[in-house]
Amino acid sequence: MTGRATAPVAIGSAGPAPVQATPAGRAGEPAPDRMAELDRRLGDPYDDGNPVGYRAVLAADERAELLADGERMLDGYGLNAEFVPVAYGGRFTEADRLVRTLRSVFRRDGTLGLGYGVTNFIAGAPIWTAGDADQCRFAADVLLRHRKMAAGYNELPRGNDFTRCELTADRVGDQLRLTGRKQVVNNIARADAAVFLARTSPEPGNRSHSHVLVDLTALDPARRRYLDRHHTVGLRGCQIAGVEFDGCPTPANIVGAPGEAMETVLRAFQVTRSVLPAMAVAGLDTQLRTVLRFTRARRLYGRTLLELPHARSVLVGAYLDLLAADCLGTVVARALHVLPAQTSVLSAAAKYLVPKLIYEASNELAVLLGARSYLREGPYAIFQKNLRDIPAASFTHANAAVCLATMIPQLPRLASRSWLRADEPPAELFRLDHRLGPLDFRALELTARGVDNLSGTLPASQPAVAGEPALARLCAGFVAELGRLAGRATELPPRGRTIAAGRGSFLLADRYAVLLAASACLGVWRRNRRFQADTGWLTGTLWRLADRLGHEPGPLPDGLERRLAAELISRADEPRGFDLAAPRLAG
Amino acid sequence: MSDTVVGATPEAVRDWLIERVAFYLETPAGEVHPDARFVELGLDSVYALTLCGDIEERYDLSVEPTLAWDYPTVNALAGHLHGELNGG
Repeated sequence: MTGRATAPVAIGSAGPAPVQATPAGRAGEPAPDRMAELDRRLGDPYDDGNPVGYRAVLAADERAELLADGERMLDGYGLNAEFVPVAYGGRFTEADRLVRTLRSVFRRDGTLGLGYGVTNFIAGAPIWTAGDADQCRFAADVLLRHRKMAAGYNELPRGNDFTRCELTADRVGDQLRLTGRKQVVNNIARADAAVFLARTSPEPGNRSHSHVLVDLTALDPARRRYLDRHHTVGLRGCQIAGVEFDGCPTPANIVGAPGEAMETVLRAFQVTRSVLPAMAVAGLDTQLRTVLRFTRARRLYGRTLLELPHARSVLVGAYLDLLAADCLGTVVARALHVLPAQTSVLSAAAKYLVPKLIYEASNELAVLLGARSYLREGPYAIFQKNLRDIPAASFTHANAAVCLATMIPQLPRLASRSWLRADEPPAELFRLDHRLGPLDFRALELTARGVDNLSGTLPASQPAVAGEPALARLCAGFVAELGRLAGRATELPPRGRTIAAGRGSFLLADRYAVLLAASACLGVWRRNRRFQADTGWLTGTLWRLADRLGHEPGPLPDGLERRLAAELISRADEPRGFDLAAPRLAG
Repeated sequence: MSDTVVGATPEAVRDWLIERVAFYLETPAGEVHPDARFVELGLDSVYALTLCGDIEERYDLSVEPTLAWDYPTVNALAGHLHGELNGG
C-alpha cells in the first residue's frame, strides 16, 4: 500500500491511473473548473448517442444494472477523490462543495451516484473521524485506485438500532473472528474494503461496539458468504446485498478505541446525514426540468400546458420547494464547518426534511405530467425512474422517524436555552462564496447542549424585512411559531422526550425542522448580495414553508408566480441548474 | 436551577440523580436501584445523553455527553460527579 504521493497504477487494475495526489493544503484546482469538467463528461442527457445520456441510463435501469459507461467515466474523472480528505491525497475539503459536485451525477442518474460512490463516502466517514494515519491511508488508497468501500451497519432485525447489532468480532490473539451478518449493504460483494459495526463486548450499553476495518480481498472465502442481492423498486441498478461471516478471521484493525463505535457514529453520521439529502436535491431538479419540457410541448385547449395557471402554479411550487431544500441542505452542510457543536440536531433536521420536500414536490409534478409519469419509455421516461429512486433519500441511512427521534430529546433544552434568545449565526455560515477550511470530523459534538443559533436568524431578520409587508408578515409568523414550540417543548413529559415519544413530540420536531428551513432561506438571502436584488424567491419559499405549517398564507400573488415561472424558463433555456448555485449544464 | 459547587455532598448528588432517573422512568424514586445499570433500568443511550444535559444545567459545568455510558449506574455517576464538583 503506497502512501499519498503520486501512486503508480495498481497491479491488476485495468482502469485509469489513480488520481494524482494534490499537494496537501492546496485543496486542488478551483472547484468550478472541476465541476464544469464533470458536467462536460456527463454531456447532453437528451443526446441518444451519449453513452451516459438518459437513453443509456434508462436502459441500464430496465436491466437492473449500473451504468457501466457511467462508472468508467467516473473512474476517469476520479470521483472517489472527492470523498477522500486532502490530508490523505484526495479532494475533500468543504461539505457544501462536495454536495455541488455530486449533484452533477445525481441530476443525471441517482443510481449511478449511489452505486458508484456515495457509500464510499459513508464508509470513509468513521475512518476520517476516528481512524489512525495508517487506516486513513489504507482507505484513501482503496478509493483513489477507484475501488469500492462498503459501510457495514445494517442488520434487518435491528433497523437503525445499532446498539443491538449482532455481528460480533471476537478477539483471538492479534486477530478478530467475525460471526454474524450484515444486510442491505450497497456494493458489499464488489468492495475491496469495508467498515463493519461489530459487537466487541457482551455488556449491555454503548461501549460494546467497535468499527472494524476489513480488507475484503484478504478474507478466507470459506468463512464468508455473500447473501443474495435485494431487488428494489428504485435504485434498481445498485448492488445491495449482504454478507454472512462464520468465525471469519481478520486482522484486529479497529478504527478508534475498542468500544468507541457508537460515539464515532454519532459524529461521523452527522456529515453523511447532512450531505446525502443535499445531493438528492438534484433529483428534483431533473423532475422539474422534465415536467417543464412537457408543459411547454403539450398543447391542450388551444394553448400550451405551461400557459394554464394551475400548471404554472405547480411548477413554481416545486421550484420554490427545491430552493428551500437547497437552502436548508447547503446551510447545514456549511454548519458542519461553522457550527460543529450544533450539527447533531441540524443534520437530523436536514436528513428528515430535505428528502421530504423533494419527495412531495416530485409527487406534485407527477400529477402534472399525468399518464406520462407512468411510462417507462418515451421522452419523459426519466421522470418515472427518478420517481422510484427519490424515496430512498429518505429511508436509507437514517429514516425520517429516526431523524425526528434524534431531535426530540434535545428539544427541551434547545427551547429553554436558545429559542428566541440566541444570537443568529456568524455571517459566513450563509455566505456561499466564503471558503471554509477542510472539514474537521473530530470537532463534531454528540449533543448541541441546548445551543441553536440557526433559528436565531428568524427574529434577527425581522428588521431587514420590515420594509416588505409580505415578508414581514411571514417572518413574524415564524417567530411566533418558534415561541409556541418553545412552550410546548419545555413541557414535554419524560417519555415524550425519547424514542417512545408520542405523536405530539414528533410533530414538534417536524415543525421545528420547517422553521430551520425558513431560517436558512432568510440567512442565505440576507448574506449573499446576488440574491438580495429580488425578494421574489424568498417570499415564495417562505410562503410555501408557512403553508406547510398550516399558517394559511393563501395562494402566491399572481405577479410573483409569473416572475418565478419566467425565471424557471430562463434557467431551463440556458440551461442552468435550478438550485442556488445555478451551474451551467451541458444539456 | 444550578447548585453551587461547594456543598454538593455525595448524598445530595446521588439523590438528585435518582430523582432524575425516576422522572425519566416515570416511576417512584424508591424503585430506582443506585447500582443497577441505566440500560437495565430502561434508560437507553439517548436518555443517557439527555441526563448529561440535565447535569450540565443543574451543576453549571460541562461534561462529556458520554459520561453516563462510562459511569453507567447512579452510584458510579454520582461518585464521579462529586469528584468533579469538588475539584477532584
